[in-house]
This record gives sequence, structure tokens and C-alpha cells, in this order.
Amino acid sequence: MSHWSEATQERAREIIARYPQKRSAVMPLLYLAMAEEGYLTNEGMEEVARWVDITPAQVQAVATFYTMYKRRPTGRYLVSCCTSISCMLLGGDDVLHAVEDESGVPHGETGADGLLSVEHVECIGACGGAPAVQVNYELIEGVTPDKARDLVRWLDTARPDVVNTDEMQELFGGVRSFDWAIREGEGAKGPYPAFQALGTVGREGET
Amino acid sequence: MPGPCQIAVSCRHVACTASGGLGVAMGEAGPEHVTITIDGVSHEVPAGALVIKAAQDRGTYIPRFCWHERMNPVGMCRMCLVEVQGPRGPMLVTACTNNVADGMVVDTRGPTVKKAQEAVLEFLLANHPLDCPVCDKGGECPLQDQAFSHGPGESRFVEIKRNFAKPIPISDLVLLDRERCILCARCTRFSDEISGDPLIEFKSRANVTEVNTFPDLPFSSYFSGNTIQICPVGALTSAQYRFRARPWDLQMVESSGMHDTAHPRLSVQVSQNEVLRLVGVDNDATNHGWLSDKDRFGFQYLTSEERLTMPLVRQDGQLVETTWAEALDRVAERIGLIRDEDGGEVFAVIGGGHGTNEDAYAISKFARVVLETNNVDARLDDALSSHFLAATADRGLIADIDGADTILLWGPDLKEEHPTLYLRVRRAAQELGVRLVVIHPRATGLDDRASMKLTYRPGGGFALLDEVADGKHPELRQALSADRVVAIVGQASFADGPQLAESVAAYVRNKAGSARILPLARRGNIFGALDMGLAPDLLPGRVAPDHAGRAALAESWGEPPAARGKDTRAMLEGIDSGEIRFLLLVGADPVRDVPDPRRALLAMDSAEYVVSIDLFLNDSNREADVVLPAAGFAEKDGTVTNLEGRVQKVNVIAPIPGQGRPDWAILDDLAERAGRPIGLANAESIAKEISEVAPAYTGITWDHLEWEARDGAVVPLSGSQPLSHIPVALKGDNAPTAPLLLHVGRTLYDDGVMLRHSPSLRPLARGAVVHLNPEDAKKAGAQDGHPVRVVTSHGEGEFSAILDEGTPEGVVYVPFNQPGGAPLGTDAVVRVTAVGR
Ligand code: SF4
Ligand code: FES
Ligand code: FES
Repeated sequence: MSHWSEATQERAREIIARYPQKRSAVMPLLYLAMAEEGYLTNEGMEEVARWVDITPAQVQAVATFYTMYKRRPTGRYLVSCCTSISCMLLGGDDVLHAVEDESGVPHGETGADGLLSVEHVECIGACGGAPAVQVNYELIEGVTPDKARDLVRWLDTARPDVVNTDEMQELFGGVRSFDWAIREGEGAKGPYPAFQALGTVGREGET
Repeated sequence: MPGPCQIAVSCRHVACTASGGLGVAMGEAGPEHVTITIDGVSHEVPAGALVIKAAQDRGTYIPRFCWHERMNPVGMCRMCLVEVQGPRGPMLVTACTNNVADGMVVDTRGPTVKKAQEAVLEFLLANHPLDCPVCDKGGECPLQDQAFSHGPGESRFVEIKRNFAKPIPISDLVLLDRERCILCARCTRFSDEISGDPLIEFKSRANVTEVNTFPDLPFSSYFSGNTIQICPVGALTSAQYRFRARPWDLQMVESSGMHDTAHPRLSVQVSQNEVLRLVGVDNDATNHGWLSDKDRFGFQYLTSEERLTMPLVRQDGQLVETTWAEALDRVAERIGLIRDEDGGEVFAVIGGGHGTNEDAYAISKFARVVLETNNVDARLDDALSSHFLAATADRGLIADIDGADTILLWGPDLKEEHPTLYLRVRRAAQELGVRLVVIHPRATGLDDRASMKLTYRPGGGFALLDEVADGKHPELRQALSADRVVAIVGQASFADGPQLAESVAAYVRNKAGSARILPLARRGNIFGALDMGLAPDLLPGRVAPDHAGRAALAESWGEPPAARGKDTRAMLEGIDSGEIRFLLLVGADPVRDVPDPRRALLAMDSAEYVVSIDLFLNDSNREADVVLPAAGFAEKDGTVTNLEGRVQKVNVIAPIPGQGRPDWAILDDLAERAGRPIGLANAESIAKEISEVAPAYTGITWDHLEWEARDGAVVPLSGSQPLSHIPVALKGDNAPTAPLLLHVGRTLYDDGVMLRHSPSLRPLARGAVVHLNPEDAKKAGAQDGHPVRVVTSHGEGEFSAILDEGTPEGVVYVPFNQPGGAPLGTDAVVRVTAVGR
């Protein structure tokens, strides 16, 4: 007796079928649970436990270990500012403060209107393009405090359905260590990473 | 962790069991040894051993928190760092995750190691609260001890420590204090690897990591108490034992758990004459140190206010206290009178399965010599045949499970009824790669580890066995043709007659000549009781009461009676019909305990004279004529025999409340007063008499058990008259047919008299519930948690419905003897209707 939509259940079945052992599917299914409800609820974890045949305590162990599984409601856009060493040296903290100040949302929290969540994160693997920021895990490199303010204002006014790394890099990014090899057509639809296989990517109207 | 036994390949035994299993045999095997140097001394150690274990076995203790001998290593705590000379110079490695290699040079106490140990302890103590004075673990705490022996003595941390609410209950039995936790993962590994119910886990990460349950999903494991025992700090403590004593206040003695026929070894710990806790004792033969929560926490009945303390006799319809002399004289007089009028055939003795072998021997001798009857039975109409239990050919050992190719489990749910065995089988299937086949009418606790699971409708066991014999289940047949097969057989359901298990055993034996059989039965010392002759067709030492058997006993007992005895069911029927005039109950409560209590109720109503030796007044002895207070667990010395025939010593450490006495002493006194002394002076001399009279028990004396055979001595099967199995013809054609069939099974916690008087466990009984497959529930209009009426031809009552996928369609499962649950008898045909519609 699943509480999930038929489409999500279908995806869950597909994902589980890929692994020799059901329990290996716990992490992708946690994203499904998040996409289904917007964040990871206790019910969502129990549901995952039923699908992959482990106890809810075991699911919780995984879900609480990784910070990308959000167990509180998250805004439509999750802005993650890197404050690890490379970014910190190049002004990551200032970028974070600019985002906080412009949006009025302190890091770790979500605005009252539910539009924005702000967080500071550990290295997101873009040290060469520091300071780096992500919106719904779509990356922007070489961000300055001013550009960060622009970004916040843009999110507030344009409210794109899908955020896309190339588009945002053009609008708000700056110096990069090297050019990305392939341009990315797709972007993320929600405050969870864009995974083709999970159906969490895509432009408007697509699934 | 010992590797597979190399000798076992060519060995006729299923496992090398000579002195307790694989580990020992392996240590002795010649070629697989390597030489290593520990702290400058060279040692021969088994190849492949972990450094920490090899060092320990050679007398060097390396400190540790997370490593536990009975679990897989994880290397979490770093306390076991040692310095090893590697190809690139010396390096620190964890002794619990590194195996020995030939020529290895290990330093466990040099300056580098010392510095590492101090650093690890300083880190562990950075967050650990210094609340030892109010911590239950204080005085027996590995962290306290090792901080003292290996720590720096001073801390450089001045920062504020982590704060958590303390303590929080994570179940009815276990309290968790997260501040004290050092994140060693012993508890989480235990529940995942050993008991198979991972309900506690790590939560979060880094400096906010904690151990916890899922919200609103308590740590309700049958084995939760083990985590308290192995937690190396006071993070997990026992709700029952909380603040009751300090380790240095406790006196302790080793004994065996009596809730479980495997007899797990444990330590009974007492302060001020009161048993305060039981702690598992590691041994290879039975429990590996683990205990079920029933064995660990189910002792509070001993100090219950309701324990009988004085002999009671009926006077003007009331039971009134009296003296031993008065009570026993009354009984002796009545025995003499009835015996003179009608002879021994009108006496009946039921019980004796909960006491010691010495008690059982006294009962057996008393029945035969004083009452002149063979109407004696320690089984309560719910067990396999006494011959099969006591003397099945090829009876296996518990340790055989480890070395088996295939384990066939066709019987009760081990998790519910035989928790020690459950852990052993689980480990074999999970860690040792043994193929496990489970056959049971519904889901069991081992299904997740079974490589094959068959279900059948209650009462349809013979039909399934026929199918198997006809080749309908080729995979199963193939699994059973392996070299080393262990068949664990018992009565899975009241609807299966007791003969099914015997037929299964016979079938397995035919398929695989070298198969080992482990028959299952209930009541703590049932195997000891049967060995002492507490069955109508057995005399002490597994001897049949035929001419030869009786003749052999004649010298010490006088000639035992020749008449055929009655079993429990026949005795209860005999009481009702007036054939039996005198009933002696010894620690038996047939009204609560036999599968179909109607017979027992009738019998208790119509009995002419009932004498009960017991710890409590219960539903069966409330109307008795005389009730005599007995000694309980830890209140008497003696021996007990477990399901594999292992005899172990149980020891006294607490006083008997009031004027209670051990069963044997009561019966000896009574015999004397009845003019037929049976000459039992004390428990040890009874043990000696047993070793002289009972052929299988030759040489088993208390001295032997206390000094030479610490893990017990296995009684050989061949007595002077080995009883062999009588094959039962398969008969699959009379399985009951009805849309719904009833499966009544036991659960670990029920309304038995000991649990009823143990406040910690009493609330854990399942209650009056019925499990229905969701499809059947729909048909009956039953909803989850709502009441339904369950009706059989033997009884009926209201139960709360549980919708359960684990119960197949057409099967209705009701846990037996639950508080508030009406007895439903043994009839398989059942009707279920929703109430209030
Ligand atoms: S609660 Fe005890 S056993 Fe469990 S991880 Fe913490 S310290 Fe180890
Ligand atoms: S430090 Fe910011 S991306 Fe690596
Ligand atoms: S005992 Fe070796 S790391 Fe814990």
C-alpha cells in the first residue's frame, strides 16, 4: 500500500530492478521520496524501507548521514554557497552573506514565502572556479557578492520552472578554471539534484 | 572468527564437536600455523587469525571497544592500535582488522602505541560525560577501566561536551544515554548481524552522530538486553536493573537459563539475597554469550509478593497455612488409603519439566516407589513422543548447525520458542553460508535468511511430506541429499499431530544417512525430566520400562510397577472419568498450558484429591487440597539436560522465600511419612544415584561438571537399551479442508505463570490478537485493530485483528495463551466474523 503516485512507484520498480539486491536502491529511492513530497518525511522513509525491505531505522541512518536529503521543507530554490577552503579564500563567505542579506534568509533556513532556502556547504568540487554557488544543485562558478545579489533577485522575479547551469553561469557566473566540455540542455526542477533516471530533470512540461 | 574446519571434510561428525565445536578443532590443526612476535616474544598462532585475537589467546590483552569476539570487526574505535613492522617501516594498524602473517612483528606497548592509545582515549573522553558516579556501568565499564589503564590521565579539552536528553527509553527494557555513547557500533551490529532486527542505527554524522531508533518505532527486539551487556560504556542500560546495585555489591554464580531448552549459560547476580540481574556467559556449546530477553529479564517472579511461602491445606473450603508436618501427614495418609483401596493405577503425576534433574529423578522415583504408578508425564499434551525426544537415533548437537550443508527447520518459529537456537541457526545461514530450509504454516523469524521456504496449511504437514517424498519439490530433495544435514523438527502448529515431526525425521534420515536430528520440545528442563523417567514409557536413563529395564532398577528402587502408564491427556481424561483418584502436580498448570484446556478444566473440577508443588497459586491448583511451596531458579543446586543431551550444573545463590523447599526434599519427606522412604539425602547424592542408576548418566557427577566439563557433558545416546525410532507411515490424506484453518503457535512472551509475575516482561505479551491475511480479512469484514470473533468447535472468543501479509490466505494465526485470549483448542477448522457490524 504505497502512498506514492503511480509514476513514482513505476520509477521505484525500475530502479530496484537494476540492482542485484533491493537494499542497494535505498539512495535513489530517497530522492524519489523527496521529489514526491518536496522533502523527506518520516512516512517517506518508512515507504522507502518497505520498498527495499530494510527497517526504517536503517533508512534513517542513510538519510541522516547525507546532507542532501532534506528532512525539513525546502524552498523552491535551494541556494548552496560553498565555504570550504578554496572558496573561502576567494570570498565565499562574502558571497554567502550577500545571499543571506539580499534574500533575508539566514543559512540553514527557508524564507517565509517558501521560495528560497539558503545553506552553506562543504566543497562542491568546483574549487578551480571558486567561489562557487549552486541553485538546486546546478552549479555557478566565479560568483561575486554582487552577482549573488543579482541571482537572488532573478530567482525572485523570474521564478524559472527549471534552473539550468549554463544559463545561470552566463547570467551570474564569472571566472572559471576551464570551460565545460559539453553544454547541458537540461536543468533541475526542484530542490533535489537533477537525475535523468529518477525523473528529477527536465524542462517545463517534461517528466 | 574461526574459519571452516579443515578436518570436518573427512570427519563423520557433522561438525567437530569433540569438545565444543569448530574453533577448538581448528586451533589444533598442525600446518596452518604461523610464527609472529608479540612484544619481543615469538608465538605460534593460527594462520589468518586477527592480531587482537591471536594476542589475546597468547596472553596479551590489547585494549578495545568496538571489537567483540562474536561479531565481525569494524575498526571503528581505534583503541586497538598496535605497531607492526611493515615493508616501509613501522606503522600503526588496528589489531582488530588485521590478520597475522608469518614473521609479523607486533608491538603492543611501546611508546608509539602508548601515545596512540592515550590520544584515542583523550578523543573518546572529549565528549564522554564524567557521570560515572551515577552510571550503572560504573565499576564494570570498559571505558572507565581502559581510561585508567591506558589513558593519559589528563584531558586538554576545555570545550563544552555534547548534550542530549538523558536517558531516553528506546524500549520497555532498554534506556539510552547518547551522551555516553562512544559510537562503537556494537549494539547496531548486534541487532543487524546477530539478532536480525536492526531497529537501532546510527543517525546523522560527524559530531552530532548518535545511536537511536526510528521515531515511534521502539527497539522491541527479543534480544535487546544483549546490547546492554556488550555496550562498552553506560550508554545502554537496563530499565529493570537501573540503580539497583553496584558491581562490587553483587555476588554471582554461573548457571543455565531455564526458559529455553538449549540452556544458555549465564551468571546469576545477587545482592542482599535478591536476584538482580542475569548476564550471558560466553560458551561455544550453546549461546555464545547471548541471551534472549526472556532468559535475561524473566526472573522477577522469584521475588514476587505472590510466591507461596507456607504449605497450604484445604479447610472448610479454604486453603489455609499450616506446618509442613501437618500438610505432608495429610497427604501421606491419603496416599496410603487410596493405594490400599485401589493400588497404583489411580495415581497420576503431571509436571517436573521446569525443575532440575535431581527433582525430576525424585518425582520419578516417588511415583514408581511410593505411588506404585507409571502414570507420570512431564509433557503437557503438546509434545512429541517421549521416546523420540529422549532417544531419537542420530540426535545432533547444537554445534552441528555450524558445520552443516543444509539445515531443515520444520517446526515452531524458533524466534518465538527457541531463541538460543534461533541465533545459532541465523548465524549459520548468514555468516557460515549454510543452506537453510524453513517449513512452517506462516512467516517465521528466519525467513529472511532461508534459501528455501515452504508454507502449508495447518494440519496439512503430512500431505506436504507426501509431496516431497513423491518428488514434487526437487530442490528440497536435493538440499536434503547433502552430506551434512541437520533436521530441527518439532510441532509447528497444534493442528499438526505430534507424529509429523517424527515422520519428517524418518524421511530425512532415509534421504541422508548421516543426518543429525534435533527434536524440539517446550519447558525448560523437559529433556532432563524425560531422561529421569518422567514419561509413562521411560525409566531413568532413557530406558524402557520393560522387563529388563525394571529388573535393572530393582536393586535400588525395588521392582518398579509393570502396568502401562498414562500420558497427560489420558490422565486428565482418567480424572474426569473417575479412573484416577489422586493427582500430583509438580510445577504444572495444565489449565493454562495444555493446548485444549477443556479437558484440564473438567479434570480439575472433578478430581478427588489434588496435591500441587508450586511457586504460585495458579488456575490449576487454586482448588487443590494441598499446595506445597517449592524452590525456584537459583534457589537450588542441581543439574539440567538440554535438547542436545548436554548436562550442565545450575547453582543456588538466593534463599527460598518462606518455608519453601526443593521438590526432591518435599517428596523425600513425603515418602518417609507414607512409609516408603526413597532415601534422597541431598541434591548431590541424588546426582550420584542418577549416575549409578541411569545408564546414560554414568560418570556424570557434580565434581565432573564443576571441574572438568565446564561447558557441560553430553549424555551419550547408547544406554544399556538404546531406544530406536519407530517409523511412522506417511498419511497425507486426512488433512482438514475448510476455507479457513487455524494455526495456534506459541510466542516468546505469553501469559505463563512466570511471565505473569515478572513485571518487566508482563506488558510485552501480544494480547488477544488474531493474524489474518488481508484478503481473508476483507471477506470477513475485519479491519486492522478492530475486534473479530474467532470460533472453533473447541472454543471461541473475541480477538483484535492484525492484517498480516505473513499469514497466507486461508490461514488464521492466533498466538497461544495470551492475556485476555480465549483458548481455541486444537481443532483446525475455524470461523472468523467481524464484531459490531
Ligand atoms: S550505545 Fe554503546 S554499544 Fe551502541 S554504539 Fe554507543 S557505545 Fe557502542
Ligand atoms: S572549496 Fe568550494 S568548491 Fe571546493
Ligand atoms: S577494537 Fe579495533 S578499532 Fe575498535
